Amino acid sequence: MEQLKKEIAEILEVADLDTSKKFTDYDEWDSLAALSLLALLDSDYNKQMKVQQIYDFANIEEFCKAIIAK
Amino acid sequence: MDFTFRNKKITGILTVLPHKVVTFEEEMGNYSFSAAKSMKLKLAMGYKEHRIAQPGQCSSDFCIYGMQYLFDNGLLDKDGIDALLFVSQSPDYYMPPTSNIIQGHFGMKHDMLCMDINQGCAGFEIGLIEAFLLLEQPAINRVVLLNADVLSPKVSDRDRNSKPLIGDAASVTIIEKSDDASVIHANVRMDGTGAFALNIPAGGFRLPSSAETAVMEEDAAGNFRSKDNLVMQGDNVFNFVQREVPPMIEHLLEQAGVLKDEVDWYMFHQPNKFMLHKLADKIGIPYEKMPANIVENFGNASGVTVPTNISYNLGDTVVDGIRKVCLAGFGVGLTWSSILMDLGNMKFNKIIEF
Repeated sequence: MEQLKKEIAEILEVADLDTSKKFTDYDEWDSLAALSLLALLDSDYNKQMKVQQIYDFANIEEFCKAIIAK
Repeated sequence: MDFTFRNKKITGILTVLPHKVVTFEEEMGNYSFSAAKSMKLKLAMGYKEHRIAQPGQCSSDFCIYGMQYLFDNGLLDKDGIDALLFVSQSPDYYMPPTSNIIQGHFGMKHDMLCMDINQGCAGFEIGLIEAFLLLEQPAINRVVLLNADVLSPKVSDRDRNSKPLIGDAASVTIIEKSDDASVIHANVRMDGTGAFALNIPAGGFRLPSSAETAVMEEDAAGNFRSKDNLVMQGDNVFNFVQREVPPMIEHLLEQAGVLKDEVDWYMFHQPNKFMLHKLADKIGIPYEKMPANIVENFGNASGVTVPTNISYNLGDTVVDGIRKVCLAGFGVGLTWSSILMDLGNMKFNKIIEF
């Protein structure tokens, strides 16, 4: 879980990730960041997701829980 | 679906590119993204410049220019063509077939087969498989495969997803019977449930172009396009490619009994550098064996990217020598296809500009 959060922080280019926020709350979130996240899920977590599904989570914390729980 | 072919070879590839070069920076101002974000995208995707046809230039114009070049230079005999295949998503007309127009332009013999095939990203592989199938007939000794797409007019200038990568181009590939006994392995797979992952909503019979379909609308990511424009569901396409292409390549190599490192080159369709590198990682191929420089230099011209890739990156190495190559195309349809074959001792393999 911590590893995933670290990787999300890298994609969003922030030092301290606030997982109570949504992805869209971050300035660096755009189509490229979304694609980077999809690529990460595919390669490291063996999971495929549509961008819309990412938006369906209440916040980044809930997203991470869902990915790790699998 | 698997195929095997014998006694057939590619004897020449000519790629025809538009003169006009457009840089990423020239178009950046059209997108509703900050310059910093666009530069980040440029770096990740490998965008630099792309080739765009002049207004009014159609797919057939590039094919005719390329074929005329081959006739003029004694590289192709007009009367020795038994089949002319035109693979494109941008035909000149709904009717007649563009392949017939080209045949008529050159006054080619009547005793031949002209065929238009509507395929995109996998259009080179689909065209080759069709050519190999035709060459099984005693009456067919030489097939000319034309891959051509001039789709840039269909992409919105304000679409940062698709505009920076689109390219226009054509290629002329000659496929002939040969006494070369090496086996060609190929496969093709289709999934029409994903047919709209890449599409142009309006302009066909289902939804003719009108004032309404020309209205520009903003999508969730901030891109503007109308129903007359090409639209790509980037997430679906990425997931599809990562899910389907690696097992297809594994299967192809297994079928052929060839190890990954016995293949000299993996000449794949060119969506962008990011996706190709992710694909190489997943299949387990070094980046050096899978060129990913076509989008940055010329743009993605759909089914023409693989021949462009071969002409640009292999050049005379497949004229003077022989290389074992794995070709793959994947995209619109959804269609994905791959071919393992020897490329070599070709009469020509080069790029010209029109």
